[in-house]
Amino acid sequence: MTVRSSEKTTEAVPGRASASTSNRTSYSTIEKWKDFAFALPALGFLGVFLFYPMIYSVYISFTNWNMTRPVKKFVGVDNYTRLISNADFYQSLKVTLIYTVMDVVLTLAIGLLLAMLLNVNSSRLFGLIRGVIFMPYYISMVIAAMVFTWIYNGQYGLLNRIITLFGMDPVEWLINPETVLPALVTVSIWKGVGFAMILFIAGIRSIPNEYYEAAAMDGASRFHTFRNITLPLLSPMTLFLVITTFISSMQVFQSIDVMTNGGPLKSTNAIVYWIYTMAFAEFKTGRASALVMILFVIIMLLTLLQWFVGRKKVHYEG
Amino acid sequence: MKMKKWLNTALAVTLAVGLSACGGGTGENEAATASADPAMKEDTTPVTIQYWHAHAEAQLEGLNRMIDEFSQKYPHITVEPVFQGAYPDLHKKLQAAVAAGDVPAVTNVEVASLPNFADSGVFADLTPYIERDGVDTADFSKGMLDAYSYNGKQYGFPLIVSTSVFVYNKTMLDELGVQPPQTWDEIDAFNEKVTVKNGDKTERYAFSIPGWDTWYYDPWIINGGGQILNDDLSASAVQTPESLRYIENFKRWMDEGSMHMGFGKGASDNMRQMFMGGEIAMVEHTSAMLKMYQENADFEVGVSFLPGDQKRTSNIGGAGIVMMEGTEGAEQEAAWKFIEFMTSADQNIEWAESVGYLPTRKSAIESDKGDAYFERWPQYKAVYEHFDEVTPRLQHPAYPEFSAVYKEVIGEMILNQQDPVPLMKDAESKINDILADYE
Repeated sequence: MTVRSSEKTTEAVPGRASASTSNRTSYSTIEKWKDFAFALPALGFLGVFLFYPMIYSVYISFTNWNMTRPVKKFVGVDNYTRLISNADFYQSLKVTLIYTVMDVVLTLAIGLLLAMLLNVNSSRLFGLIRGVIFMPYYISMVIAAMVFTWIYNGQYGLLNRIITLFGMDPVEWLINPETVLPALVTVSIWKGVGFAMILFIAGIRSIPNEYYEAAAMDGASRFHTFRNITLPLLSPMTLFLVITTFISSMQVFQSIDVMTNGGPLKSTNAIVYWIYTMAFAEFKTGRASALVMILFVIIMLLTLLQWFVGRKKVHYEG
Repeated sequence: MKMKKWLNTALAVTLAVGLSACGGGTGENEAATASADPAMKEDTTPVTIQYWHAHAEAQLEGLNRMIDEFSQKYPHITVEPVFQGAYPDLHKKLQAAVAAGDVPAVTNVEVASLPNFADSGVFADLTPYIERDGVDTADFSKGMLDAYSYNGKQYGFPLIVSTSVFVYNKTMLDELGVQPPQTWDEIDAFNEKVTVKNGDKTERYAFSIPGWDTWYYDPWIINGGGQILNDDLSASAVQTPESLRYIENFKRWMDEGSMHMGFGKGASDNMRQMFMGGEIAMVEHTSAMLKMYQENADFEVGVSFLPGDQKRTSNIGGAGIVMMEGTEGAEQEAAWKFIEFMTSADQNIEWAESVGYLPTRKSAIESDKGDAYFERWPQYKAVYEHFDEVTPRLQHPAYPEFSAVYKEVIGEMILNQQDPVPLMKDAESKINDILADYE
């Protein structure tokens, strides 16, 4: 279409000057086409496997489809209103948010603490310790969850073995509704804290030494140096970690699937797990799609909020 | 700007292609075959069918032997067995296969999920084939056969059937001189003799009932004279006085410290360990676990049918074998032959024994093979003395959803020591909401 229109211009306005303009136009048009052609395989892939399913699930969220029914009956916003008036929705949201807050705060706090403790360049031992702490990050969550299921077992679990040595009563970690959520968060922290530590160390090392020298000259205490130099200059890294950890813990699924199945008594029924049971155990694909949309909006709004709040507090060096 | 326009067109095209592809796929399923073609029966054109199953490792030897024998009988049919994981995984893959319009010819389906699939027209009605080939359906246990019919159509045959039974420590009960209770009235006396308490703490429970799956206490609701839904399945009945009898008893027995109930993930392992270690004298569990108990216990294991009160019944578990709608005629014919073979009376005893599930055919049980089987597995006699009291579960497409509601009440009772009676009243409105939501 674009090519043809540029031909028309050539016919309508003859003459040297305009011909050269037209040449330039068609040249840049071809360039654009070439760019597009190069992007096409990737776009096609994204279109089929990302954009199309995304748009399609918006459509499904307005139907009562169950995946096997041949007809998708349009039910309007019924799925959304039923979700919002369901007490389970708020329970699920609460569980997800508590999990997320615990996970983000503790992963970052412990990660930073470890970074401060283990940021020793010259020691091989410290390098080894950092390696060991980072190790869980590349273990698959399913495997980690299975190992922890055994550790938490009420009858023969490792954790109960240890606490009974100290004279405490054994606890059914994954069956007691009070302990099950902290137990899940622990797995996530154990897995994620090494990554946070490594990024914090990278952040700390990129802070120019002059600041610390200047602070030392002024006689600043270690705490003040940390509070006024390290922490502010780490803020871009912190924001990055907050957002990525936030998004992944809002979507917690695998550990729940392996360790608790959302129970006991819905105490670990986080939103993504609920979406999964709704779609694949209760056969409510339409309703589950609506919940996906709600989760999408919640995550987007909270991420934007973090970003806007963070922007004011984050100091980019230089 | 122009780029954007092109992007839009490209997107629209992918969308349109995808939509039409999807529409075509689901449309096919609507075309149902109404009758079984007699000419097809003798046709020997080679055909290959897929059998999607949930047979775990321990059942594979038996399955492979059956498929071998089948291919000797029908050399033109090749059966490709495809293991799709446990029932929930299998069901998910079936859903996806139906949505994609590319289904296997034969599959397993877990008994409680049959209504939902059948409701959507996913399974083929076997009635035309049963009539054409004159299959004697009366030879099946009635309850087991009925579990695989829905809305008057026979969607499949029972393949691996289990039922919940009491498995007991026979050595221990013999020493104590007690018999497992056969009626609810006998339970209190049983508890008194078997329970061992040290102050407030129970050292040996008389019996345990799994709280993690409604399958184990649905029969208790029924045996107490109650029901889960009312007669026309339009409203909850879990809160009626008759339906509450079992749970009032459960609560009392638990408060006394004579009954144990497990709940949540890992509870099944715990119960097994406690039974093996002599901390529980008798556990309600699936008959499919009998082999495991037999092999691992260092005492003699006995089996007793669930005690009755107003009624005496136990529900069917396990899976059936069904034919999928949406494959070609030749494949459907082959599928039918395979289903018939897998559930035939000739194979019934060997099959059941190899997979550890129950025989389903009366003629097989009464045959010489059947006698030999009961000699090897005397415990199963307890089940077959009550062959007609093994009944289908409540059939409703929303069962997986509303059963979770009263299961939660049981959980509150076990984990938080709540009184289940008021909670069941709350459950009523939740269940009714779910039923109203279901069209």
